[in-house]
Amino acid sequence: MIASILGVGTSRFGKQQDLHPSDFVWQAVGEALADAGDPQIDAVFLGTVFGAPGVAQRALHTLGITGVPILTIENACASGTSAFHEGVAAVQHGRYERVLAVGLEKMTDQFRGPIVPENTDTEGCAGLALPALYAMAASRYLAVHDVTERDLAGVAVKNHAHGALNPRSSSRGTPTVDEVLESRMIADPLTLLQCCPLSDGAAAAVIGPPDVEHERAVRVRASVMRSGGLWDHRSDDAWGYQVIADTAADAYATAGVGPDDLDVVECHDAFTIGEIVTTEALGLARRGEGAQLIRTGATRLGGRLPVNPSGGLLSRGHPLGATGLAQIAEITWQLTGRAGDRQIDGARLGLIETMGGGVSGIDGNACVVVVLER
Amino acid sequence: MGTPVLDDERGDANDPRPRTVRRDGQTLLAGWRCTSCSLPRAARAWRCPDCGGELADAEFGPAGTVWSSTVVHLDISGIAAPYALAYVDLDDGPRFLAHIAGATAPVRVGTRVTVTGTDDRGDVHVQPAPSEVPA
Repeated sequence: MIASILGVGTSRFGKQQDLHPSDFVWQAVGEALADAGDPQIDAVFLGTVFGAPGVAQRALHTLGITGVPILTIENACASGTSAFHEGVAAVQHGRYERVLAVGLEKMTDQFRGPIVPENTDTEGCAGLALPALYAMAASRYLAVHDVTERDLAGVAVKNHAHGALNPRSSSRGTPTVDEVLESRMIADPLTLLQCCPLSDGAAAAVIGPPDVEHERAVRVRASVMRSGGLWDHRSDDAWGYQVIADTAADAYATAGVGPDDLDVVECHDAFTIGEIVTTEALGLARRGEGAQLIRTGATRLGGRLPVNPSGGLLSRGHPLGATGLAQIAEITWQLTGRAGDRQIDGARLGLIETMGGGVSGIDGNACVVVVLER
Repeated sequence: MGTPVLDDERGDANDPRPRTVRRDGQTLLAGWRCTSCSLPRAARAWRCPDCGGELADAEFGPAGTVWSSTVVHLDISGIAAPYALAYVDLDDGPRFLAHIAGATAPVRVGTRVTVTGTDDRGDVHVQPAPSEVPA
């Protein structure tokens, strides 16, 4: 054990244009602090991608969090999990006793639709929007692995069904495979319902020492963060596979567990193909066989190893900086028996994986894998 | 250390996309190759990102193979949608992101393509090689 989670909280997710960024932080942090028993906070790490300068202090001082170190972290879609990772490391190494990790994004202040590709990036400048980046992985998988378009749609069907059980999700109903495939084409072969929706929100966790006594404490067995390696003409794997596999291998080794020991997983399903590639990279399926998990129902609620019981990014939505801590909150609730209608009976060991991209030449800006145990 | 490639004609600091050049009637991708480990690159770099070696100008193509492909139906990049993209592995060269002129459906993985040039917007284009086009 390297640290503990003493409390978690989140806002609702979905388009909430009428709320100020601070509103989301107040909801998430307020719930997390109350859950943890209102401890003194010694430092804060806040993850956000598009947050305004000072977004953390602007929200936190009105919660009474002043006079302590506050750092804002940008790490693409893994910004929230990166904030959590840094908070865990700070506690693990004795720098602080109680750390608040927060993730925040108000996407509707920035975008009306998909994230605009980054013009200073080689491939962003050439029009490689994020759905197109994942579509490239899907294109490759459909051509060389045992994956069909119906398998891809099956990921969306599963996660929307899960999200329908999550009152905080921005869920858009429970579409069928045909409805997913018939929704508007975004980037071949990915249709609209295979893409995470634009969403606003925040999530938070209070981190304490590994041996702290607290009735709902969840223990952190491992937290690992990596940036991607070179991804070029020598890379046979889809973008992201290798960095996720490497990060997960480190996390499993640190935690002393393997994929077969897990009871529940929240992973980065920003697009349907993402969950298939990621479940393979996490070792839940062999390379190229991730679609089997969808076909057999192994990863739906009630299956052998539920993946994304919260609804994932596909249903919850993807407020970039908030996502990682929303995943942490879901696993914490699952391990403490507080996940409501989507509770996995007896879940004791859970894994969180978040992955961020947007820099061409490497297979990910950041990947974080966390292993939690009750 | 050698002279870094920061002001080379083939590397505009404010436009990070690859360039094409005309050589002996062919259109080639203008990039770099590591003088130490031979790693080919289409995008600017300070040194070889793999071994740290010095980079020298190199030209690649025009022939290559589609590694993956998509058609983007989003009007968010200042490019009229739909537009087709492919990761292309140039023969003995780098993988790079190419536009496929005129394509309205993804190009099959494994399709042989040829570099055709740079469009008005600055994007490099490929098209399926003549042998790939049905008669």
